[in-house]
Amino acid sequence: MKLLTPITLAITFAFTLTTSMFASAEVAVIVNPANANTLSDSDISRAFLGKLKTYADGQSIKAVNSQTQSPARAEFEKLVLKKSAAQVKAYWSKRLFTGKGKPLKELGSDADVLSFVASTPNAIGYVDAASVDSTVKVLKRF
Amino acid sequence: MRKALLSCAICAALPLASAQAEVTFHGFANIVAGQASSGDTQWGYDDDIDFKQDSLFALQASTDLGEGLSATAQIISRGENDWEAEFEWAYIAYDINEHTRLLAGRQRAPLYMYSDYLDVSYAYPWITPPEGVYNLELSKFDGLSITHTFSLGEFDTSAQAFFGSDNDDTNVQGIEVNTNFDDIWGATLTLNRDWLTLRTAFLELDLTIPIPVFDQLAAAWRDVATFDHVADALVISEDTAEFFEFGAVIDYHNWLFIAEVTRINYDNMPLETEESMFVTAGYRFDDVLVHLTYGVDENTINSVGERLPLGVSPELDQLVGFTMQGLEFRNEDSSYYTLGARWDFHPSAALKVEFSHRDNDLTNQDTSLVRTALVTVF
Repeated sequence: MKLLTPITLAITFAFTLTTSMFASAEVAVIVNPANANTLSDSDISRAFLGKLKTYADGQSIKAVNSQTQSPARAEFEKLVLKKSAAQVKAYWSKRLFTGKGKPLKELGSDADVLSFVASTPNAIGYVDAASVDSTVKVLKRF
Repeated sequence: MRKALLSCAICAALPLASAQAEVTFHGFANIVAGQASSGDTQWGYDDDIDFKQDSLFALQASTDLGEGLSATAQIISRGENDWEAEFEWAYIAYDINEHTRLLAGRQRAPLYMYSDYLDVSYAYPWITPPEGVYNLELSKFDGLSITHTFSLGEFDTSAQAFFGSDNDDTNVQGIEVNTNFDDIWGATLTLNRDWLTLRTAFLELDLTIPIPVFDQLAAAWRDVATFDHVADALVISEDTAEFFEFGAVIDYHNWLFIAEVTRINYDNMPLETEESMFVTAGYRFDDVLVHLTYGVDENTINSVGERLPLGVSPELDQLVGFTMQGLEFRNEDSSYYTLGARWDFHPSAALKVEFSHRDNDLTNQDTSLVRTALVTVF
């Protein structure tokens, strides 16, 4: 009988946890204004998962992430990568510990992402759509 | 002593490397507690709570040397081995170009879908990958591998070829023996597109595993005229084994399906074939993944046992009896299911609970195991 406890526990976990809700904001995927390449939704997702490494014109892709706690990151992972934060973390730990790739560089704020993308020709990042300014080019809004 | 040497090696490597390139450290840890049903043993656990069997601590140091060259070492300390630290990965990687990477040194034997990150429990749903499929003694090798990634239609594809050997002390049925896995070579192919991943692997190797019981039986058969072939079948010495694998993962919205089948053909060894499969279905409720796994493991033993002479003399009958017992000991026909949950309660850690029930069809024994794990990456 005592062996059944974990099952009850698992079921309790599953049904009592409430869905965490966060305010949804639009996310803008941005590149350097000099970057003339286009990327499909699937290409954008692959670029941020380290699977797509070059733009159509042959330049290497330098994708940057927002820090873990940022609302833009949660939105981006949900809408573009279609994964939960834990799934994305599991994906990168898999790549990291098998030598297939390192997690993306993480920048502290939308302002940091904007300035990095504005000054790096092959960069791609994402910010809250409301933060976008004229120093970068919006590739796509989600 | 060995541990001290390892830490010295890391300390010594650090200031040297940091003069030229930055060394980054990452790690992961699994702390697992488990207990088998009363009076039973299952997957290394008995009916006392154990914290060592599946617990481990790992540290990875890597450095980018520039020009496509990088060096990585991963050291794992396992509770199962009294926390003795061992290099699981230690390689130099060279990116020949953006799509092709060469690894030289110690690396994972890429047998299974989850082989490459076998110990990174954070990266998969279960506490450990399904026991039956993932039970082969060969987990790493020293050698070369080349991985090429490319697009095949809509699929991100990765093809890998490898060659090497592994000489290690392995625990075979409770006895520490020096195993030699030589001339290991093989290839894997992985296709991934959105929610679908398909993988297949082939591997061939030469096995030398001195198992005292079989070696003694073999010596006895060599004393009997015309029965050298029995001795040859019992001894595992430079015998060839072939390994085949096919696996699939469907990760669609909140649903997760995983299936994997493996087959090993042993040439002239006590075991003839080893077949394993499992299927897992899971559903994600926000931060909690609930999953159910069903698995089957079936071995066949060398048919040499069926052609042994009976009734010639009492001594020979006794030898036949021992030989049959020895072979039967390697036989297996079992199935199991595991019901579990993973709760991602923290950005870098997860809590897992599992209940597994195993059914041994040869001995008609049923055993159960409860495990809980705290797994993390850092």
